[in-house]
Amino acid sequence: MSEAGLVCSHVRVTYPEFTLTLDLSIEQGELVSIIGPSGCGKSTSLQLITGLIPCEEGSISLNGKDITHMPVWERNIGMVFQDYALFPHLNVAQNIAYSLKLKKIRKNERTARVSRLLELVGLEGYGKRKISQLSGGERQRIALARALAAEPQMLLLDEPLSALDAKMRKRLRQQIRKIHEATGITTIYVTHDQEEALTISDRIVVMQEGRMEQFATPEEIYTHPSTLYAAKFMGEGTLLPHALIPQTLVSIDKGPETVVFRSSGESRQIFFRPERVIVHDNLALAFPEFLPHLRFNKARIINCEYQGGRYLLECDWNGHSILAYSRFRPKHEKVVLGVRVSDLIEYVDGIVVN
Amino acid sequence: MRQGKGSGTYGILDMSRFYHALSTPAVVLLTFLFLIPLSIILSKAFVGIDRGFSLERLALLVTDAYTWRILRFTLVQALVSTVVSVALGLPGAYVLATYRFPGKRIIKAICTIPFVLPSILVVLGFVIFYGNNGIVNNLLRMISGSEEPPLRILYTFGAVILAHAFYNFPIALGLISSFWEQLPSRYGQAAMTMGAKRFTVFRTVTLPRLVPAILSASTLIFLFCFSSFAIILVLGGGPRFTTLEVEIYRRARMTMDVEGAAALSLLSIAVTLLLVALHLWAQRAMAHQEEMESPGQRRLERRPESRMARIVLPLYALTTALFVLGPLFGIIYRSVQVPVSRSGDSEFSLRWYRQLFGLEEVAGSAFSVAGSAIILSLIIAAVTACLSLLFATMLAARLRTRSGSKELTMELFAMLPMAVSSVVVGLGYYLVSNIFPGSRSLRTALVVLAHVVIASPFVLRSILPEFRKIPFSYTQASLTLGATVSQTFRKVELPLLRSAMATGAAFSFAISMGEINATLVLSDSNLVTIPIVMYRLIGSYNFAGACALGTVLIAVCAVVFAITESIHRSRYV
Repeated sequence: MSEAGLVCSHVRVTYPEFTLTLDLSIEQGELVSIIGPSGCGKSTSLQLITGLIPCEEGSISLNGKDITHMPVWERNIGMVFQDYALFPHLNVAQNIAYSLKLKKIRKNERTARVSRLLELVGLEGYGKRKISQLSGGERQRIALARALAAEPQMLLLDEPLSALDAKMRKRLRQQIRKIHEATGITTIYVTHDQEEALTISDRIVVMQEGRMEQFATPEEIYTHPSTLYAAKFMGEGTLLPHALIPQTLVSIDKGPETVVFRSSGESRQIFFRPERVIVHDNLALAFPEFLPHLRFNKARIINCEYQGGRYLLECDWNGHSILAYSRFRPKHEKVVLGVRVSDLIEYVDGIVVN
Repeated sequence: MRQGKGSGTYGILDMSRFYHALSTPAVVLLTFLFLIPLSIILSKAFVGIDRGFSLERLALLVTDAYTWRILRFTLVQALVSTVVSVALGLPGAYVLATYRFPGKRIIKAICTIPFVLPSILVVLGFVIFYGNNGIVNNLLRMISGSEEPPLRILYTFGAVILAHAFYNFPIALGLISSFWEQLPSRYGQAAMTMGAKRFTVFRTVTLPRLVPAILSASTLIFLFCFSSFAIILVLGGGPRFTTLEVEIYRRARMTMDVEGAAALSLLSIAVTLLLVALHLWAQRAMAHQEEMESPGQRRLERRPESRMARIVLPLYALTTALFVLGPLFGIIYRSVQVPVSRSGDSEFSLRWYRQLFGLEEVAGSAFSVAGSAIILSLIIAAVTACLSLLFATMLAARLRTRSGSKELTMELFAMLPMAVSSVVVGLGYYLVSNIFPGSRSLRTALVVLAHVVIASPFVLRSILPEFRKIPFSYTQASLTLGATVSQTFRKVELPLLRSAMATGAAFSFAISMGEINATLVLSDSNLVTIPIVMYRLIGSYNFAGACALGTVLIAVCAVVFAITESIHRSRYV
């Protein structure tokens, strides 16, 4: 572990119908995403860190300095707002130079920094433009430049791409990642889009109802969600009772893996992602899996959705719904599905079992 | 965004003492300015013959049949005026909300005129235009060839109603059409897909949704007509058509029955308070309905399809413009005419202006003070504009962060001066001035204070909605960029309010320039403003002189109007 950037310890705010608890430590230079459904406390977390909401309990420190009760304007934490909040009475350059002017930085230094920032976000020569003349994507990048102008100790982005179309989102998230690598600034990125979070982050916080569900790397979060909630939020998947294992297990004796059964209860469940499922529709051929796996014979296809490059199959097997990706459109209504035992994730009462 | 949750919204501003420090002086001062005259009125109203506390004066008033006759007439004329104004405005509102046609912009601009136009100009314009020797009658005489004026409307009930309609129907037009425009057409379209015909759609979908806007406009117009003063005083032409406000003035300044005037004021305050509460309630209903609309779903205005409509609509625009602007142009026209013969022929001359600016000897005494009246009016208006802008901005900064029931009480408080008619405000300050007799500068100062009380709600109404429109994220962004709360107020919020503040100041300036109700109650022979001189000139049948002075007033209002309109167009997108 390198030295700590932001540390929130036992931070807690209480509202009549909502309590937010935040307990996390972010390394310096790290890009961390906070993801969760709307109303889960993502934005509130950012406002707590900037000081826009007073911290009622616990403490926040940034780069080793306690900032729990420091006023917003002294914290030097840059923030990009969901609606960008660019000041309409100022032009692009004046917006970017806003914080520099407050710091009484001299004019030529200011202009130099503004043009450097415009270059960084790829909008050279935009300084004189009015905010109303900018497109959504341009506004987003100017907002980013403005937040970076004060050379903040930390950068917070509150769903910065949510108002843009899909193509622009993809382009800008790559740019944000690049700018992050160039500046090395500790960053928190709030989003409700799991793909965005997975592609951009060093680590991800999954939030639900004011609680942190999991805080881990994108791979860890996707492949080993620590709770069922996180598992479902980060992508599609199938949930089945653990008790199905004995009747579906196909184990080739010579296989290196052995399966250990625990006594099955109602609350014990297995979970797997659709891309882990093998779809087999030609019964004349052998099932193409030789490691221990669960096999679901005569699964009926209820829905076949073409997604461009692959098909998402929704199948019914003995009253259980199973999701699977397939490279081809199955020729028959009934298929055989299989999933490796090593790809199963086990949950008891919604919590992962290791 | 987790907004709207307790301290999550404006909490950061509540923590800072800046806004409290900013608004407290304004709250305290305005309260004093408002409460001092009011409490003096109250104290007079409850003073008995023996100088002790007594209810006998009120009892006398309430049992007097004359009081009830006046109150009944006041309510009846206000009701009829309101109905006529709304009936005139409603079809226009439909046209404005539905069609695009030449002259539409002018009509929309005309809708803001009544808020700026002094009532004395309405009176004068009315006499010049519809009077026995007025422009309309002259035209009719020319056509018919008769000697007698065909239209004898002056000093009748009809004159009062017509003048009120002329004055107030643009309010109905403006308020209802701007609300109508924002009604999304999809509801009507949905009704049509279910088989409703155009008129059925109007009756079952559009009209019910317009009710809050109609109510809001009606209550406002009713309030204005209820406390209408100059129009009744001149056009009503005598005790037959006396309203509460005129009676208060008459008792206070003519029969010197100050206590009786004070007692009548209580009656007036009770009614207007009720009206303002009704108006605010209607406005809230309107705002509530607006919240449900998603933005960017406005009605699309369409071009008129039939040839008929294409002719009728511009004609409508022309008629409206003529109806509203005609009397004003009449004033300007008459100001540059002098009679050359007894029969009423006249020719172009700038004599009245030469007299006005002291370049020529003046015969009448009323007109000789016109020059100084212009200067005094300008000074009073400038000071009033500055003070009311200051107070209103400070108040708006405070009110912006309020929400829910707290907001309503604060807003009601801020609108209180509206609930007390300007005649009553004038009476209050007149009673104050009686405590310190003699001093002219004090009386002038009291006029300014009365004007501030009258104008401040209007300034607040132009600033507060704009203040509330500033996204809170602007403030938050500024704070995260290192600006303190006061720096944010100066560098982000104030600049964004610049246009609203300019509008407010211009309004306040115009209101003060044209204010006659409080001024007439409060002034003495030494203290004359433009409207007072105009009133005296009209009283002595020197219409041409009044027109010259009126033209100056029109010019001032036109400048104010041009400023607000140009600002309105250059808003940030």
